[in-house]
Amino acid sequence: MSRPIEQFAEVAPCRWRLDKSADRAMKADAEVIATREILQQALDDGAIEQVVNVACLPGLAGSSLAMPDIHHGYGFCIGGVAAFPADNGIVLPGGVGYDINCGVRLLASSIPESEFAVVADAVGHALLARIPSGLNARGLRALNKKEFQRLVAGGVGEVARRFGGDPGDMEFIESGGCLPFDTPGALGPRACERGAAQLGSLGSGNHFIEVQAVEEVFDPAAARVFGLEPGRVVVMIHTGSRGFGHQVASDYIETFRRRNLARLKLRDPQLIHADIDSREGRNYLQALNAASNFAWANRQLIQEEVIAVLEEALAMGRRGLGLKLVYDQAHNIAKFERHAADGKAIDLLVHRKGATRAFAPGHPDLPERYRSSGQPVIIPGSMGSSSFVLRGTASSAGTFFSSAHGAGRRLSRHQAIKLSAGEDVSARLRAKGILVFSLSSQGLREEIPEAYKDVDDVVAATVAAGISEKVARLWPLLVVKG
Amino acid sequence: MKSYETFSTTADTGIRFRGRGHAELYGNALRGLNLLLFGRNPRPPKSKRPSVPFRFRGDGPENVLVNLLAAAVALAGQEGKQVAGVEIRYADGRRLDARLITVPCPRLPRIDVKAVTYHNLRVREMNGRLRAAVVLDV
Repeated sequence: MSRPIEQFAEVAPCRWRLDKSADRAMKADAEVIATREILQQALDDGAIEQVVNVACLPGLAGSSLAMPDIHHGYGFCIGGVAAFPADNGIVLPGGVGYDINCGVRLLASSIPESEFAVVADAVGHALLARIPSGLNARGLRALNKKEFQRLVAGGVGEVARRFGGDPGDMEFIESGGCLPFDTPGALGPRACERGAAQLGSLGSGNHFIEVQAVEEVFDPAAARVFGLEPGRVVVMIHTGSRGFGHQVASDYIETFRRRNLARLKLRDPQLIHADIDSREGRNYLQALNAASNFAWANRQLIQEEVIAVLEEALAMGRRGLGLKLVYDQAHNIAKFERHAADGKAIDLLVHRKGATRAFAPGHPDLPERYRSSGQPVIIPGSMGSSSFVLRGTASSAGTFFSSAHGAGRRLSRHQAIKLSAGEDVSARLRAKGILVFSLSSQGLREEIPEAYKDVDDVVAATVAAGISEKVARLWPLLVVKG
Repeated sequence: MKSYETFSTTADTGIRFRGRGHAELYGNALRGLNLLLFGRNPRPPKSKRPSVPFRFRGDGPENVLVNLLAAAVALAGQEGKQVAGVEIRYADGRRLDARLITVPCPRLPRIDVKAVTYHNLRVREMNGRLRAAVVLDV
């Protein structure tokens, strides 16, 4: 039976707090950003108990947090945020997730929606044919061992050096598309093997490439800064570190388990962790950085292929099409960040699993262009609904400048397949003006719009809680599903 | 509950299984995985039984299960081999020494299992049978 909603106090609009006195094992409060309906759904699907379990971990800074796209995950809920002191805290692979640095990147363009409509079908077929997707897809670039090591150390910079592309993109990628990695021994052979074969592939499940149109602008000044103009086309890419990240996570869960399981009292074994300054903790953080660099490189390569397809279809170069990277953000990651607590600066390892970093205007880690607007926060909806671009706000300090990352699943894959039995999902979306391309009809049925929460509700809760502000709404024109 | 079956949660899918002892529990875990990946369990070939060794010693049956299933997922995903049977030489709550009998995968797996998780995983004994449920990252 789920915890009664009455245990939560709405301390501010769409901010619900569960005091640590509610559960003997809690060492910190839990705070959920949600409407009442979303909170109830999260109670029903067990995600709230996962937020509580994280609040039982030692050394948590602030509260155990969840964003409005909260849903049940492995050990740690999707939409969860947890921070631990950098000097004596813990690191938990469950707080990052298996798909390390799964993330979203958004490209703006000057292509009018009407011009794109003429070539949309051809673009969809070309993207599906040229960008590897689906089960066991091998990537655009096969790497040998040495090349792989260089890539995971160099991230996007290495992609630009080896395969071309615009090195200027790096400024608009979180952490410049490269986190420090100098310990090749931290990576297991199987992880490297899986990664080397998959660079430049979309994967399966909820990963996608979407061509969208800017449908509505809420904040014209910020939209101008981000390069978003009504009626113009944008491209969104959602993928991660493929088998490499999954293997890194699996390997370190095993390592942490061997070293630490016997001495830890865990409510869920998936919350296994290690001290940040232990040998295994340091090695995991190195491997995490390598997998993050791989994911940024993966999205960069896919972006270059998408640009090539658009250039061919519209017979115009990248500059002529006005294609510019707006931002690339990670939503499964743990990073060292400086935050303020009780008027003092404190260095924390912030875990975000299905949550987006959302730095406020003026943050020193933002590119110069975004210092006045705040960080772009990209929130994809389902394949049949709008997506949103928001921006970071100063009032999100309480969530360690974190925001939602998507609509969040509502139905299981099995329920979605059952609900769409006998239905031609592509035809339904085509009737709404959305072209869908996928190698898997079952994959499409798993991803029907009803499988997700209403993204408008998620964004409304995000805005009401003050953790981000709306900039623009995007409408899908073409979807390529992994 | 059947000897093995599949189930789904909001974002994930998994397998539930039981056994009269550890050997049967591990065998049924592999059968459950086959059901999820391919929709059926093949018959092991009578002759010419290609196999791969699986030897693991861990901290408990959960640890054995996750590593056994991860090995079977890797065989299917990376080598195109489906586990059609298991010859167990020794099995207890911490150790499994076995040979996994393989056949070529009849088709691509129906779903892409990326990792085998410990999420809420606990082997429990009930009415003289061991039971467990493993959630898979898909």
